[in-house]
Amino acid sequence: MQQKNLSIMHPRPSSIVAALYTLRDLNVEVAILHGPPGCSFKHARLLEEDGIRVVTTALDENGFVFGGHDRLVDMLQKVEERFSPKRIGVVGTCVSMIIGEELHEAVMEANLDAPVIEVEVHAGYNDNTKGVLFALESALDVGIIDRQEFERQQHLLNEATNVEKKYGAASKDYLEPSRGDVKYTVAKRVIEMLKAGKKGICILNAKKETAYMFADITVALQEVAEKLGVEDNIVNFANLDTELGLPRVRQHAEHILADMDNNVKIDEIIGGLDEYPIAGQQVRQLIESKYRDFDFAVIAGVPHAIPMEALEGMELISITNGPRQVHPLKDMGHKHVLVEIDLHPKTLGVTNIVESEFGATLRQLAREE
Amino acid sequence: MNPQKRIAIYGKGGIGKSSTASNVAAACADEGYNVMIIGCDPKSDSSITLLGGKRIPTILDILRDGMEIEEEDEVVFEGYKAVKCVEVGGPEPGIGCAGRGIIVAIQKLKKISQSMKEMDLIIYDVPGDIVCGGFVAPIRKGLVNEAYVLTSGEYMPLYAANNICKGLSRINTKLSGVICNSRSVSREEEIVNKFANEIGSELVAFIPKEQIVQDCERDGYSVLEKAGDTDIAEVYRTLARNIMASDCAVDPRALADERLRELTR
Ligand SMILES: Nc1ncnc2c1ncn2[C@@H]1O[C@H](COP(=O)(O)OP(=O)(O)O)[C@@H](O)[C@H]1O
Ligand code: SF4
Ligand SMILES: [Mg+2]
Repeated sequence: MQQKNLSIMHPRPSSIVAALYTLRDLNVEVAILHGPPGCSFKHARLLEEDGIRVVTTALDENGFVFGGHDRLVDMLQKVEERFSPKRIGVVGTCVSMIIGEELHEAVMEANLDAPVIEVEVHAGYNDNTKGVLFALESALDVGIIDRQEFERQQHLLNEATNVEKKYGAASKDYLEPSRGDVKYTVAKRVIEMLKAGKKGICILNAKKETAYMFADITVALQEVAEKLGVEDNIVNFANLDTELGLPRVRQHAEHILADMDNNVKIDEIIGGLDEYPIAGQQVRQLIESKYRDFDFAVIAGVPHAIPMEALEGMELISITNGPRQVHPLKDMGHKHVLVEIDLHPKTLGVTNIVESEFGATLRQLAREE
Repeated sequence: MNPQKRIAIYGKGGIGKSSTASNVAAACADEGYNVMIIGCDPKSDSSITLLGGKRIPTILDILRDGMEIEEEDEVVFEGYKAVKCVEVGGPEPGIGCAGRGIIVAIQKLKKISQSMKEMDLIIYDVPGDIVCGGFVAPIRKGLVNEAYVLTSGEYMPLYAANNICKGLSRINTKLSGVICNSRSVSREEEIVNKFANEIGSELVAFIPKEQIVQDCERDGYSVLEKAGDTDIAEVYRTLARNIMASDCAVDPRALADERLRELTR
């Protein structure tokens, strides 16, 4: 018997929402939430920006008491009639799972032409990656992904969960949110180091679409270094492999690389955009073999997934989008920690790099030089 | 080898499902079958008489303590003639959600149990009243492929049996037979037999009401183990053979309440 996880007080990402995002990555066109009308409202709205429609069976008190089977069947048929989607998802919620709704029965009864990915999930899992896993399992069942991709994803999810438990939002029973250090001060420090001829590694290790904004930091640093005539002192790592991950995720990497065009040269590709939990090992090997004598590192995205041993001796400037990630990063030894507040919503539904606050600050300061 | 039988016995609370289930399990084990009994009642009293009166830790007991179950021997225990005994357990009466408990426990068991696959017969002993979605979880999750209804010749148990038939057709599960567990009321066998025929099924056993059933239960044994040479032990044996041989499950047609009353008058 294994003891369960420590009990964490701060609210954390929901497995239902994780399932929804996964369905989007699987190019599902309409996802049906089988549950109360307000469930996951905010993310459902955001996801629409990204081209996936989210609808709800809107179970009310009567639905809780008498079950929602018929409503789900109706909703499936309505969705087919109204939107003719090529791929549909059905996602459970706490309510429908507690009362024992069988998504599969409703799907069989509705008998639609389009394949339906059923995700029996609720928000009561300690690791929200469970929602991703269940969605992928179901996608495997209906033949939307193959076993090889499934196993690859499963491995990544395990690693992501480990990273969160060790260094992330699940590492302490309570984490105080923080806005991190002042961007102006940190940008100044970066420019100071560049001017002093210090050598830096810029590491983009971002999760999926968040890279649309985190990549802006790579671009800004490059611009600033060029302006100061020290571009040779910067090397760029990025998890922008265009051959790895689900089609949609590869596409993000393609978009970002295309947008960087000839302005930025990525020296080292450290994995795909879904490989942020494991890219750290690659980073470590690269630094050990080729980039030992560097003075500082700017790490954007999921900095806590890069092993500290790899970064020894470097001054660290890290950019995250999680206010609860600030303290864990500081504890790990990251000297400067910055938060790009509300990054995620701005990276949904885009195909170009989006300006970041830190990038903008760097550019502004460089102009003032 | 014959395909695995996965049955559930439904019927009004207190009508004798658990005692029938455990006696049938023992009888099948006597015949050399690999048998598992899964108690889905929060009372967790399905397997006691196979375990010499002892209670086993339930799946939900372990989960309640915040533990993960990884090996099946944490929740699967061997009783009489190696019958595998599992109890789902549940929350205290009036607290939490017993239905969800069954869903969670059954999913867990399915995930960790290797021996389930090797069984010739798995009996799900479900609580009397299907009060919510969770109580049909074994069926819904595709774990049960045949159902039996247990009733006496009294009106209320028959009423419950009839309702269960409605439920079964709703969830597309076939009925393999009606078992009469006698309460010694007049014309009992005739009434239950008629009921079985009219719903499109058949009466597969008539179990008399005998003090020995209760005596054995009190001592913590099945009739098969403690009183194997009695007539009623033979009835359980015949029923067990019948279940293992059955191949004519039907979609039951529930009767109108009027007709049900007529039957028992
Ligand atoms: N054929 C029988 N003769 C005498 N007593 C019986 C018989 N069948 C069941 N009983 C007794 O009836 C009581 C209720 O039976 P039980 O199996 O617990 O019902 P259920 O599981 O349907 O709630 C038990 O004490 C049991 O020993
Ligand atoms: S409790 Fe569960 S079902 Fe209800 S709104 Fe929250 S996530 Fe949705
Ligand atoms: Mg019982």
